[in-house]
Amino acid sequence: MEWSEILKRLITNRLSLFGIIIVVFFAVVAIFAPWIAPPADPDEPYEIPRSGWKVAPTPPDAENIFGTTEGSYDIFYGMVWGSRTAFRIGFIVVGISTLIGIAVGTISAFYGGWFDEIMMRITDVFMSIPFLVAALVLTAILGKGLDKVMIALIVFGWMGTARLMRSQVLEIKAEEFIDAAYALGAGDTRIIFKHVLLNTIFPVLIQACMRMGSMVITAATLSFLGVGAPPGYADWGQMISFARNWIIGSQGNPLTYWYTLMIPGAAILLFSLSWNLIGDAFRDILDPKLQK
Amino acid sequence: MIDLSKEKLIDVNDLATYFHTEEGTVKAVDGVSFEIYPGETLGIVGESGCGKSVTSLSIMRLIESPPGKIENGEILFNGKDLTKLNQKQMRKIRGNDISMIFQEPMTSLNPVYTVGDQIMEAILIHKDVSKKEARQEAIDMLTKVGIPLPEQRVDEYPHQLSGGMRQRVMIAMSLSCDPQLLIADEPTTALDVTIQAQILELMNSLKRQFGMAIMMITHDLGVIAEVSDRVAVMYAGKVVEYADVKDLYGDPKHPYTWGLMYSIPHIEKDLERLEAIPGNVPNPLNFPEGCKFNTRCQFATDKCRVDEPELEEVEEGHYSACWHVDKLEEQKAKQGRG
Amino acid sequence: MINYIVRRLLILPLILFGVTLLVFGMLMMLGPYQRLATYVQDPSQLKGGGLDKLITKYGLDDPFYMQYGRWAKGIVQGDLGWSEAAGAPVAQAIMDRFPATLELAILGVIPVIFGGIWLGVFSAVHHNDFWDHATRVFSTVGWSFPTFVFGLIILMIFYGVLGWTPPGRLSNWALELKNTEEFIRYTDMNIVDGLLNGNFAYVFDALRHLVAPVFTLAVVWWAFILRITRSSMLETLRKDYIRTARAKGVKENVVINKHARRNALIPVVTVAGPMVLGLLGGIVTVETVFGYRGLGLLAYQAATRLDYAGILGIAMYFGGILVLINLIVDVSYAFIDPRIRLE
Repeated sequence: MEWSEILKRLITNRLSLFGIIIVVFFAVVAIFAPWIAPPADPDEPYEIPRSGWKVAPTPPDAENIFGTTEGSYDIFYGMVWGSRTAFRIGFIVVGISTLIGIAVGTISAFYGGWFDEIMMRITDVFMSIPFLVAALVLTAILGKGLDKVMIALIVFGWMGTARLMRSQVLEIKAEEFIDAAYALGAGDTRIIFKHVLLNTIFPVLIQACMRMGSMVITAATLSFLGVGAPPGYADWGQMISFARNWIIGSQGNPLTYWYTLMIPGAAILLFSLSWNLIGDAFRDILDPKLQK
Repeated sequence: MIDLSKEKLIDVNDLATYFHTEEGTVKAVDGVSFEIYPGETLGIVGESGCGKSVTSLSIMRLIESPPGKIENGEILFNGKDLTKLNQKQMRKIRGNDISMIFQEPMTSLNPVYTVGDQIMEAILIHKDVSKKEARQEAIDMLTKVGIPLPEQRVDEYPHQLSGGMRQRVMIAMSLSCDPQLLIADEPTTALDVTIQAQILELMNSLKRQFGMAIMMITHDLGVIAEVSDRVAVMYAGKVVEYADVKDLYGDPKHPYTWGLMYSIPHIEKDLERLEAIPGNVPNPLNFPEGCKFNTRCQFATDKCRVDEPELEEVEEGHYSACWHVDKLEEQKAKQGRG
Repeated sequence: MINYIVRRLLILPLILFGVTLLVFGMLMMLGPYQRLATYVQDPSQLKGGGLDKLITKYGLDDPFYMQYGRWAKGIVQGDLGWSEAAGAPVAQAIMDRFPATLELAILGVIPVIFGGIWLGVFSAVHHNDFWDHATRVFSTVGWSFPTFVFGLIILMIFYGVLGWTPPGRLSNWALELKNTEEFIRYTDMNIVDGLLNGNFAYVFDALRHLVAPVFTLAVVWWAFILRITRSSMLETLRKDYIRTARAKGVKENVVINKHARRNALIPVVTVAGPMVLGLLGGIVTVETVFGYRGLGLLAYQAATRLDYAGILGIAMYFGGILVLINLIVDVSYAFIDPRIRLE
């Protein structure tokens, strides 16, 4: 199916259109972050500026459009630069882990035999530790910092793609046009790249799309649990860890500090939701073609 | 010759089944009429997309609705109009009075239940017998359809059987309640030629044993010739010719049928070339005005492009829907072909 | 099929071995000082000087395989080391908190499996009508909802505003009761114990504390199972054998429940393994958010405090559970699909 056709269908589907709009919105915010929320210190743009030293959060007002969270960190700033963080995490983690997964899966399926068996057992081992626990441990070991989180997510995030890619390649391998290509004398590497990849890439792309959302959620969870971004870093999950103590509100009004939780929470939800909607629509569009 | 004085088993009159899709309305079956007499085999022949399957599914009331709907017409089964029955009433008839077998034996049986289970299901729904009795009946049916070691096979799963055997199981399943009519939609198309012959042979012998009528749907002229008593030729949702099988093959009276006969290799005649009918089957969303065959017919005139011909009796028991049967006859005489 | 099961059983220890190697490997990235806690049963030994002597004594700067070998030997003898986070031997800490997590997990899995499958089938059968759209919205949003945010929102509303679902496992009075002699702790699962002791107020209290974490845990996976069941069911309903069943005169609800559902569930069983994996991660999050004293909370505490022994012990425990579940899934797969059974 042509890309232009796919794109057209993605846009006409209401749900995926909604998803695309949200992603584009976040992307615009992320790209124009330095103008929308100018950093206090240009060398450390991810440090959320503080409007004071108050412990308790303050509600939205003229100076802080979204209010401040514990420690007087400006929520609006955190949201804007948090978009950048989200995309950074998403693209880097999903990008690299997908590449690793594709490589492992393809090579494993293509060469088969004991190599395949070993690679699959290794994959099994990696998949026998709950993702969050593994990432938690690795991040704790490596130390604080978003880059450590990304490493941990990549190290434990490639297996799904590897398995998917492998099963795709195995299916293709059984088909006859690979034999035809061999007969024509095409070398091993060329076969792998040209025929196999192009025909198997779509499910992997769909999966990668969905993982954009889930990786950001996992990264946010890790930051919330205190093993990710350092305090005051512009990361949505990190901001929610600040909200932890305030969700029961103050005397008399339990919902006093709703904004410390709801605003970053909504951002994570929408980010993830939009990628899932796009991925879903993508899958629906390609589905009848994938059916054999 | 069929005794046409007997009561008709099936009487389809002016059946129209349309599908309402996003891209438009597909008139899959558009004014089809035919009869089936008890104990006879009516062959329905036509290319893919001509509406033959939809016709059979309409009789069984298995049309998916939405988007499909029986818009018009009546289907009389022993005098009762099937289009007026509700699903509960139809369920009593399906598998019981009228049975159906399909094209793909490989996928038409449920992979997670045994063959015996599936045959017994039909029996237990329609007959008042115990499970033990049903099982015995299932084994008997397997024997009748020529499956060796039926006591063993009855507990096997579909994937353990070959395509030909699965089709036999389908036949066993459909005949387990002694139906008056068996609808067979391309039953041998997905099978090897040798197995094909066996299955057709089996169906003929069972027909004699059980005394049922068969509606044989296929695009294969050879199969039609072998099993049918009478034939209806369908094109673009309509019946274009309707006759005794010998008359149809010996003396076709519709340009389409005639074209079909000469596009297949003939073992006795020595043809220089196979002649395909020029053009393609029209898009069901966009049928031509007038006679739907006019775009491909060498005898087409302006009248054909405006008025749609109805089935008319051109000889005794031989019907054709064409304005220019006489022109066809001329051509036949000229070429010395029948 | 026996071959198949035997093969899987043989691979089990290999994978467990692999898991421990992996976690051990990760932990070896820490320096010897940090890893001291494993070999020390008595925390007072950790204070003060003489650490270097302890390091040499316990071989913490020995080569990898030697250290691993020692740990493995300890496992076989039932000694998992000392957990700093729990303030107790690892094995004891795990057994101590396991019932709480088990209770949470069982209660969480029930709506996931039954609700998810039932709704998935329902949704597919009512394809494209209002209920189908509603369930699809619910499932997509549910799947996209970050668990910790959801939990916090529930806490905010149902505890903060309404006071219905407090964090923790039990209220103070119930906790006190639990520790008295009259209350017999059969399983350490509060609901079960409460029922067996005939104390319904206790049971109710336990339930109050469980509702929120269970719901939070279940939402994501409920949505997940729903989606998969629905799409699998839709595909199954298009199959030829469904048409055959209808042509036999089978009643529609039998067509759906007998003919379609069993086939549709085959791909769903396949994802049971990854689902349990995700559930375990979810348990860590949920227990942490709700202060629920179970294995998940311990895992979090151990990880953040770099409790070397604790991490290893829990990782191994989780790994073992996962491998077991995968085995069960593989076997049940064979039961559902006769094509596999007879290979």
